[in-house]
Amino acid sequence: MFDRLSRRNFLQQTGIWAAAAAAGSLPRLAHAAREKELNIFCWEGYNSDEVLDPFRREFDATVRAEGLISDPDAINRLRAGEDNVWDLLNVNNPWAREILYPEKLIKPIPRDRFEPYFEKMLPQFHPPYHWAMDDGGTELLGMVQRFGPFSFVVNTDKISREMAEDQGFKLFLDPAMKDRYGVLTYDNWNIYHMCITADIDPFVKHTPEQIAAVGETARQIFNGAKLLTDDLAQMNLALINGEIDAYFTGGTYTASPARFDGATNVRGITPKSGPINGKGGIVWIEVTSVVNNPQVSPLAEEFLSYINRPEVSKAVAFAEGTYNPVTQMGNPEVMALFDEDELDAIQWDTLEEEMERSVDYDINPDYAEMYSLYAAAKRAREG
Amino acid sequence: MAAERSGDHVSWYRQAGMLCAMPVTIFFIVGFVGPLLMVLAYSFMPPRSFSLFQAPTLANYKAIIADSYYISFLWSFGLACVTVILLFAICYPIAYGMTKLFGRWANLITALIAVPLLISENIRLFGWVLVLVKQGVIDGGLQALFGVELSGMLYTVPAILLGLVYVYLPFMLFPLVIGLSMVPDSLKEAAFDLGANRWQVFREVELPLAMPGILIGGILTFVLALGSLAEAKILGGKAIIMIVDDIENAFTFGQNWPRGSALSVLLIVLSGLIVLFLFRRIDLDRIIGRR
Repeated sequence: MFDRLSRRNFLQQTGIWAAAAAAGSLPRLAHAAREKELNIFCWEGYNSDEVLDPFRREFDATVRAEGLISDPDAINRLRAGEDNVWDLLNVNNPWAREILYPEKLIKPIPRDRFEPYFEKMLPQFHPPYHWAMDDGGTELLGMVQRFGPFSFVVNTDKISREMAEDQGFKLFLDPAMKDRYGVLTYDNWNIYHMCITADIDPFVKHTPEQIAAVGETARQIFNGAKLLTDDLAQMNLALINGEIDAYFTGGTYTASPARFDGATNVRGITPKSGPINGKGGIVWIEVTSVVNNPQVSPLAEEFLSYINRPEVSKAVAFAEGTYNPVTQMGNPEVMALFDEDELDAIQWDTLEEEMERSVDYDINPDYAEMYSLYAAAKRAREG
Repeated sequence: MAAERSGDHVSWYRQAGMLCAMPVTIFFIVGFVGPLLMVLAYSFMPPRSFSLFQAPTLANYKAIIADSYYISFLWSFGLACVTVILLFAICYPIAYGMTKLFGRWANLITALIAVPLLISENIRLFGWVLVLVKQGVIDGGLQALFGVELSGMLYTVPAILLGLVYVYLPFMLFPLVIGLSMVPDSLKEAAFDLGANRWQVFREVELPLAMPGILIGGILTFVLALGSLAEAKILGGKAIIMIVDDIENAFTFGQNWPRGSALSVLLIVLSGLIVLFLFRRIDLDRIIGRR
């Protein structure tokens, strides 16, 4: 048919193909109801089959989940139009209240349905919980579950916990530590921790001198580091094999896989003191919110209820990848599901004390300027 | 239709070939050129903005030039050049053997080199980590056998080069094999008969005739190494920062799409110029054997 192609039969052909293509996409055009599908964009753990399969069976739903690798990246993708794709977004605490809700990228959830869950959580998460509420304190923006202190990690065979907690981040400026530590390049966290190293509160407006001091600290930290990587498995391997004795930026989240594997000398450390009202540790708390998707799935809210069930809370805490405490551990039914090794992997014995020494993760108003200095220090590193 | 058949000249948009190619061409423009144009447009938007509808500015390019990005560009281009040179030195003898000497064994070698390509690059590089890491295959083995302790081999520039050479070897080797198989033995014999020595035969006969294969292998490995990230991350522990790492970070942690776009444009333009310059010297028709 194509050997004697003329414009007319070419146009017929393309017409047929175009019609077929349009027919294929009709369901999308017809605003298909999404009762049976749910798309989740989340930190690893919520995307594990252990968590999702029972939900799929119970609600007879197609659930797709994609793991994200950085909060800012996820926010970017939502801004770029993926708010039409996702139903649920799981990121760290400040984003929902300070960025996502003001930018209309997420929408509130009913307080009467979800606040009772907060009442069963660990005491510091009882309602109204700051990070789950909007600025006005009237709208509930999501559900909290995983959290953890996040400062740095040492090999306790080489550096005692006591000494690491006393020295805090100054440990990394000690000339004796040169080439004995790595930097886990979660850039936004690194900058917070470099502020603390420079005795500066990361969460307030800074003077030009302070910003320059953070840049100088970044230079010192990078020049003394043996390796940089954003892969926690690689970092733990280097720590266990003796390539390094500590790493800058890390906590329960990054130490737990190694600890659960038997390497209990890998330990997340929270400094005893620091520049943030006397505190030197930071704790992250994930908030899972319903995306402001024009065709949001009704299953989104069902999922937020579902993750509060004791066995699901446990599965989320111990999903593949990393292991973390969950706010639902305030509920004795949830606590009963953890065994001794699991509690040791997430450093449960010192969790309360570490939380007391920490402030909540927040947004750094001078992040952009500090980031330029940070990136320049990384590039100019004396490798 | 008579009008179309009567004239020898059918206007270009009415030619059957053109019409057949049109759907694919449109798809290509929308799917491939479109995003590149977006990146180009973003590179002229004000820093840290997320919209394309603002007054264009050169701020991003000025900031990049004023900042220390030249370090990443130099490392990326430098490592790419060294990788190409090392690969040429390693692959040329192997390719020569495969085309002229090994006979039946050549297929086995091809298979051995091609099979690892089926495994993810990251996994293969992590395999090297286990070989090079302290207490790893080399260090642990030497300690157990001879009591020798080595200092760290990982997280250095040589480790990155090892990774680049290892990962991109097939991309140099196979074009070289094609290039060298285009050198007729009779020509070399004739050159020897006319009194040329080995070096002259290599320089005057082999190299010019195999040049298309060498250039294709060189361009492939150069561009791949220039855009590589995993080797510097996994084996190098970011001992140096590759430009691609800077681009990725500008888009993600830096929350600065315009700067990331401007860096991408610079990288595309710089590497594009090099590739164009080299491609002007290749005669693709001859490689395919049409002439």
